[in-house]
Amino acid sequence: MGFIVLLVLVALFAGPLASLIGHGPNELFQNDMLDDFGLPKGPNGDFLFGADASGRDVLVRMIYGTRVSLKVGLFATLVAVGIGVVLGLLAGYLGGIVDTILSRIAEIILSLPILLFAIGIVTACGASKEGCARGYVKPGVTLVVLISAFFTWPVMYRIVRGVVLSLREREFVDAARSVGAGPFTIMFREILPNLISPVIVYASLMVPQAILFEAYLSFLGLGVPDSIPSWGRMISDGSAIYDVAWWLIVFPGIILLLTVLAFNLLGDGLRDALDPKSDR
Amino acid sequence: MASRRTHLALLGTVSLVGVLGIAACGGSDDSSSTNTGSDTTATDGGGGDVLAASDTGFSTGSPKAGGTYRIATPDLGFTGGFDPSAEYLGWAWGLQQQLLNRGLVGYRHIGGTAGTEPMPDLAESIPEPTEDGTVWTFKIKKGVKFSPPLNREVTTKDIVYAFERMATPSVGAQYPNYFTMIKGFKEMSDGKAKTISGIATPDDQTIVFTLTKATPDFPYRLAMPASAPIPPEVGKCHTKAGEYGRYQLGTGPYMIKGADKMNISSCDAQKPIPGFNPTDGITFVRNPNYDAATDSKEQREALPDVIDISVNTNEKDVFDKVQAGELEEAAGLSVPPEVARKYVGDDTLKDRFRSNPEDSTNYVTMNLAVAPFDDIHVRKALNYAVDKQAMQRAWGGKLYGDLTGHVIPPVLLDGDTSIDPYATENSAGDVEKAKEEMKQSAYDTNKDGICDAPQCKGIVYLNRNYGAYAKITPILTQNAAAIGLGLDVKELPTGPAYETLQTVKNQVPIATNARWGKDYPDATTFAVLFDGRNILPTGNTNYSLVGMTPEQAKKLGIAYPKTPIPSVDADIDKCNDTAGEDRIQCWKDFDTKLMTEVVPWVPYMNALHTNLLGPAVTKWEYDQDAGESALAHVAVDPSLQK
Repeated sequence: MGFIVLLVLVALFAGPLASLIGHGPNELFQNDMLDDFGLPKGPNGDFLFGADASGRDVLVRMIYGTRVSLKVGLFATLVAVGIGVVLGLLAGYLGGIVDTILSRIAEIILSLPILLFAIGIVTACGASKEGCARGYVKPGVTLVVLISAFFTWPVMYRIVRGVVLSLREREFVDAARSVGAGPFTIMFREILPNLISPVIVYASLMVPQAILFEAYLSFLGLGVPDSIPSWGRMISDGSAIYDVAWWLIVFPGIILLLTVLAFNLLGDGLRDALDPKSDR
Repeated sequence: MASRRTHLALLGTVSLVGVLGIAACGGSDDSSSTNTGSDTTATDGGGGDVLAASDTGFSTGSPKAGGTYRIATPDLGFTGGFDPSAEYLGWAWGLQQQLLNRGLVGYRHIGGTAGTEPMPDLAESIPEPTEDGTVWTFKIKKGVKFSPPLNREVTTKDIVYAFERMATPSVGAQYPNYFTMIKGFKEMSDGKAKTISGIATPDDQTIVFTLTKATPDFPYRLAMPASAPIPPEVGKCHTKAGEYGRYQLGTGPYMIKGADKMNISSCDAQKPIPGFNPTDGITFVRNPNYDAATDSKEQREALPDVIDISVNTNEKDVFDKVQAGELEEAAGLSVPPEVARKYVGDDTLKDRFRSNPEDSTNYVTMNLAVAPFDDIHVRKALNYAVDKQAMQRAWGGKLYGDLTGHVIPPVLLDGDTSIDPYATENSAGDVEKAKEEMKQSAYDTNKDGICDAPQCKGIVYLNRNYGAYAKITPILTQNAAAIGLGLDVKELPTGPAYETLQTVKNQVPIATNARWGKDYPDATTFAVLFDGRNILPTGNTNYSLVGMTPEQAKKLGIAYPKTPIPSVDADIDKCNDTAGEDRIQCWKDFDTKLMTEVVPWVPYMNALHTNLLGPAVTKWEYDQDAGESALAHVAVDPSLQK
């Protein structure tokens, strides 16, 4: 938890931190940090984590990369949770044809190979100057968030639907119904508050998945543009010359590992704390 | 689609003293300028005649004939299916010219000046033109045969058929523009005639070209692979774009493996030659009908028995294998700087890293029809602002390119490097000079040297999304920002980036995704990029829209800027009509005018082509024409292969 708080602080204060170090995320130090072959120089007193292949400070870019990772992780999860919870509620409570249709859609999406489709969509949207969907969707953080959310909302949907199926038979729902409450009132006023625990638990586990997803896409050159530092893209760019510039993949790799680990541990902790059925 | 040719390969250097005095080269086997001066001299190892390496070549031990020369490439990358009529990839040109198809005119396929002097190949000599330079009569050598299964002698009618293919739209020829001055060529390509009236064959050994105007560089044009003979018996069965590539039968020292087994009894019976699969690779084996006595060792030594080119998309793996002796070379790839650093720093290895001029220019292109680049002061300011040294370093440093300040590679201007109107100290850019220039622009409203009009922000900047191109992005973005130009980066893969840039309606303001190299050693092959008459709605390579008229803009469906766009069409025509020293001077003046009165580009580097030679390579040459390895002059020692 402490590490996540630290990450959030780093993301929030990336600018001041960079000023403290004295280097901007896209500032080039070609004369100082590239050799005659254009190859980057390693860690030293001024560049604690060395320079990348364009002569930029790896540490500063990692600091700014925190923003992308957290932004994707949190927003993709929020969107997925929003869609999953609403549709899960509808399917679980209304049942019938609504349940059948929504469940089939969710199953279809879950059966799709996410990375393959994501690559296809990002490539299609990134293959022209205009982007796709009449220019509304362009390559970058937003697209990564939308794709991640699109492929992960069914997970939340199934969890919520399952819980709602059980809750709708409970007495407090009957009570609400008997005093004349409509279905939407029951769903959002009576049942929804009871979903908070499982939703928080599973949402916390979706965050690291989204962070990794952005890293995968950026590693493949399909995530955010080069001007926006991203850990995945940093690792990808460094992988071509890792044998002569180990720092390009080691430092971003470690921070990515620690971040994903921290969110997974947070999710486990929340589950242990909020789920009475779990073994402690 | 010359740009495709440019981005993957391209051509060589040279000091062109007496350029286009080419008729004088005809006929002889003059070798005075080759095979001298090497610090490692090849010897005849008993496996056939082996010439000494040229100044730009390499040899060691005792180069011999025989063995398999193995090359890997990430993608064959053919732009026209390897059909000689259509193909426009520089590397493919090298394969066509050196291994498969002999044209009327050829080159020595070595580096340096000597490598771009045209020589007779299939022709007995390069003639002097008659009728005020409009009639060229060639005699072809006897005894040159097509490979099996055709086995017949080449006649001039096979050359006529090659030209007719270029004038057949369905074939998808990619540079027929170089032959439209042949009388009747345009009529055939427009469907108004079934043959080209300006090409006659009085007999099987004679071919006469009648041109509509004097074309001093005609022999250079004939050296391009599309004009080499194609047998109609096979070619006429394959007239869709790129189709003939997998069926081609040639006259060179090699043929595609399995060509001899092709059933050519009818069109239906013909099946693709198995030795060429666009996704796997291509293998060349010896053509049993090739008679070296009809050829010149200067042009083709043809030492390996087999040349095997395989596709391997893992760049690192390719260069690891070259270093380990599992491959002789990589193609279509620049040597990674970390590998170059290792080789250059090791006395035992440094000769196996080769760096030779490509005769190409890397540049930033600006669109004269789009704000703020419709203002010449903005274009000049950017020329001052760009840190060319940083750009060079992004490509790998001095071994990967020479800095430049003008459009046409110096080698095409008799080595002149004096044109540099925006020179800055160490070519590192000068923000103060850039600001002084920007102050004169209407887009700098408060005259502080910073572009501050609304048009200065969110300027779409197009680039490729990988390798050295991607390293250029932050440099240009930072340099432009220093004078107030806010670039909105759009990085795309190679193909989509080209398509986006070449579609005029997209109106890309600024881009660095394209490069350009010569098609043959004359500056006219660069001038075509600024000819207003060449502007096309799609597939356009006049990216800056130099010379575009308001009428053209209307037809193209784009807005014409308030400031008229300058034209250099008349300058191009003037230079094309001259020859010799006057021609060189004319192109120098043209280049100077471009850089001072038009300013369509920020030219920053003339690229050098890098090659890494495996430990089993015993002889190697650089082909200045193709800008790639000269496979006609390589040798391998099988005992050193792994």
